[in-house]
Amino acid sequence: MIRFIICNLCTLLILTGCWDQRQFKNVKLTLTIGYDEGEEGEIYETVSIPTVKGSEGIVEETVQVLSSDARTPLDARDKIDQMISESFNPSKVKVVLIGDELAKSDIYPLLDNFYRNPNSNLNAQLTIVEGTAKEAINFNSTGDTKISEYISGILKGASSATHAHADNMQMLWGELIEEGEDFTLPLLKVDEESDVIKFNGLGLMREDYYTGIKISPEQSTLFLLMEGNKGNVARMTRKVLDDQPTPILEYITFQVLDFDRKMKIRPEGKEVNVDMALNLDIHVTEYPHDHLVDEKIIEDLNNDLSNILTEEASEIFSITQEANSDVFSIGRMLKAYHPDVWKELDWAEGYKDVTFNPKVEVTIQNHGIIN
Amino acid sequence: MGFFRKFFQGEPLQDRKIADDKQEPKQPSTKNLSRNIDYLLNEFKYTDDLKIRVLKKGDAALLYFEAMTDQEKVQQMIFDPIEMGKADHIYDIPNSKETTNLEECIRSLLRGHAIYMEDGHERVTMFNVTSVFNRSVEEPANEKVVRGAHDGFVENLMININLVRKRIEHRDLTVKFFKVGKKTNTNVAIVYMDGIANPELVQKVKKRIQSVHTDKVQSPGFMEEFMEDSPLSPFPQMLNSERPDRIVASIMEGRVAMFTEGSPTAIVAPSTFFMFYQSPDDYNTRWYAGTFVRLIRFASFLIAVGLPAFYISVVSFHFEVIPDDLITPIKSSINEIAYPPILEALVMVVIIELIREAGIRLPSPVGQTIGIVGGLVIGDAVVRAGLVSNIMVIVVALTAIASFVVPSNELSMTLRLLTFPLIFLAGTLGFVGLIFGFLLIAVHLAKLESFGTPYFAPVAPLRIKDLKDTFVRLPIFTMKQRPKGAQPVSTTAVEEGARGWKKDEQSNQSKDK
Repeated sequence: MIRFIICNLCTLLILTGCWDQRQFKNVKLTLTIGYDEGEEGEIYETVSIPTVKGSEGIVEETVQVLSSDARTPLDARDKIDQMISESFNPSKVKVVLIGDELAKSDIYPLLDNFYRNPNSNLNAQLTIVEGTAKEAINFNSTGDTKISEYISGILKGASSATHAHADNMQMLWGELIEEGEDFTLPLLKVDEESDVIKFNGLGLMREDYYTGIKISPEQSTLFLLMEGNKGNVARMTRKVLDDQPTPILEYITFQVLDFDRKMKIRPEGKEVNVDMALNLDIHVTEYPHDHLVDEKIIEDLNNDLSNILTEEASEIFSITQEANSDVFSIGRMLKAYHPDVWKELDWAEGYKDVTFNPKVEVTIQNHGIIN
Repeated sequence: MGFFRKFFQGEPLQDRKIADDKQEPKQPSTKNLSRNIDYLLNEFKYTDDLKIRVLKKGDAALLYFEAMTDQEKVQQMIFDPIEMGKADHIYDIPNSKETTNLEECIRSLLRGHAIYMEDGHERVTMFNVTSVFNRSVEEPANEKVVRGAHDGFVENLMININLVRKRIEHRDLTVKFFKVGKKTNTNVAIVYMDGIANPELVQKVKKRIQSVHTDKVQSPGFMEEFMEDSPLSPFPQMLNSERPDRIVASIMEGRVAMFTEGSPTAIVAPSTFFMFYQSPDDYNTRWYAGTFVRLIRFASFLIAVGLPAFYISVVSFHFEVIPDDLITPIKSSINEIAYPPILEALVMVVIIELIREAGIRLPSPVGQTIGIVGGLVIGDAVVRAGLVSNIMVIVVALTAIASFVVPSNELSMTLRLLTFPLIFLAGTLGFVGLIFGFLLIAVHLAKLESFGTPYFAPVAPLRIKDLKDTFVRLPIFTMKQRPKGAQPVSTTAVEEGARGWKKDEQSNQSKDK
């Protein structure tokens, strides 16, 4: 009996059969993937693959950028795999870029493989590039060695300054699938004049395609506050005065300390009214005119800023209505609180008919350490 | 009263013997001196170190093993009293013992005694002139502490018992002797507190000692293997220590300690897994520090057993879990290594064990050199040569250090051995294998028993009260009850009101106000 067991164990040790290890040293990790529109309905995939060499601290890094035409993302991956040594692995991908032309058609088919495969990194960030993704991935005149680090750094900065969401692909999944809720994706643009990639606003999505309409970087902070999101810092600069000796004196810059947003939906028959009250407590960080201890000046500034921002808010609402992108989840709230109204409405076009009544109220709470 | 009864019934009072020798053979001595000597010489196979000094012109003889006796003691105990006229005859010397049994003479000769026989007399006189060589009771090199007692057991059983008795001056401290080993006749002693230790446990230990039938018992390790419940388990089921304070603490918890002649190591039954992680240092420092150090020791268990296996499963199966910022350094370090990580790990672990083993056997200055040459030079060269990645060197070195943190050498060895199966499991199945490995270890630990005590107590079976001295070390006055793992009969260790002075002082203060 013991001999039988020992024989078995020895045989097992020799005949290990398929050993499904995936050696880390034998894979080529790609950190950035980009998709563009190819010819005749094909897609064009670009990847950047860093190869590291040398040990003991001094690490040389060479980046290989490869592109291929294919029918589907995984088909493209197979084709790229044939071009490189060892095997291609996207499980540590950091940013996924989509060219704006491709994004205007359905983006879900591009992402399906990420959600389906348990190895993929759903912590990756999804962005739209104005122009082509290939251009952005090929971009290499920055201090950061890797394009993935550069782009994810830009997005991280944008989300901490309340310009963009910090959503990763995991968090987008729900918004991608659910009816009655749309979302935005950050837009990037390769600026060839100044040789940088820059954050260029938020692209409004309608279901799962890009509408082509965007919220500009200047408006994005207010937009995110209206959505109820605030990053580490939310800073805005607005013009409050006219006819000053130099234009720089016409502006005020402030940070939002605290905010309170209330959305109320009042359906009246088939007509849907939405009241939004946004209260901002602000901290003035730049105002060369000073005299911020005077109550009247503060009162005036509060009123001016409230009016300016209220106007801007209605502008933002009309932009989203133009794009028919329900980023404020009005549809979902209707479905939840007023199911009767929801059943009667055709939400594919219904969002455009919603009446928004924004009201922004600004209160200066703090004016810095000088009087 | 037994003394008087025996006295009146006329039974002669006898010396208490170390071990019961009722069954031992008897050979009556004769009046013929040369026949007696012939018998003894024959029994000793004419060994050359049995010295026979002929006295009284051939009418008497003094026999002793030259190697076992102290010449000065012979002079002092046997000849001095006669020369100085204190005694007229050797038979009259007071500190002697008499017998007419030659077999007893053999045993006492072997113990290093001298015997005196005279022609025409049956009686034989025995003198204790054994020479004793003892080293001093130094601190054991493998169980050093920062603060606390710095003495240690030695190779002499009596000195060891002396060290224990000095620490427990109580009538309940009981010592029982046994002779084990048919040829070596090794003295084995068990020491316990009667009234704390469970009588069933004591009985169990006695029974197991008595049923050891073997030629020789060299060390407690021999006894351990004969007595432990599961000899196939990798885990030691009896704690062994050379520190009197550690052994005394175990005895006071109601455990049974066992000593063998010729070895400075005492072993304790029953032992639990967590006892191996307790060090006298924990109780000598403040309890916060004791707790912190103990937690670090438990972390070292996980590192020593699991770190190489974890690293291997990460780099050969699940590299998704490597943090983004570590990808480049790790990839660059392992990219050009020729061998798979499992082989790398085995090579490094074996190298470390080689260095360790070489360091122990060599004299200490050379041993240190080997450590430096092995650790620094080989470690560096192996990385430069591209045989092993530098991260693997870090992992294996950390593992080796962690395995030396355990206060018990036995368990440290066990941990290092357990690394290997886990490395293989991780190398074939990744995290799944690692989890299975840990699961099997946990199942085995929970199933193991030491002298009727669950080995993994007080965690499995859970006893919250005993956790006070398991992962943490709470202040001693909170440990009111002895741990249940020792199966004590009397459970109270610290009595109620052990810090009663505090209440008194507070009430005094309030009175003053």
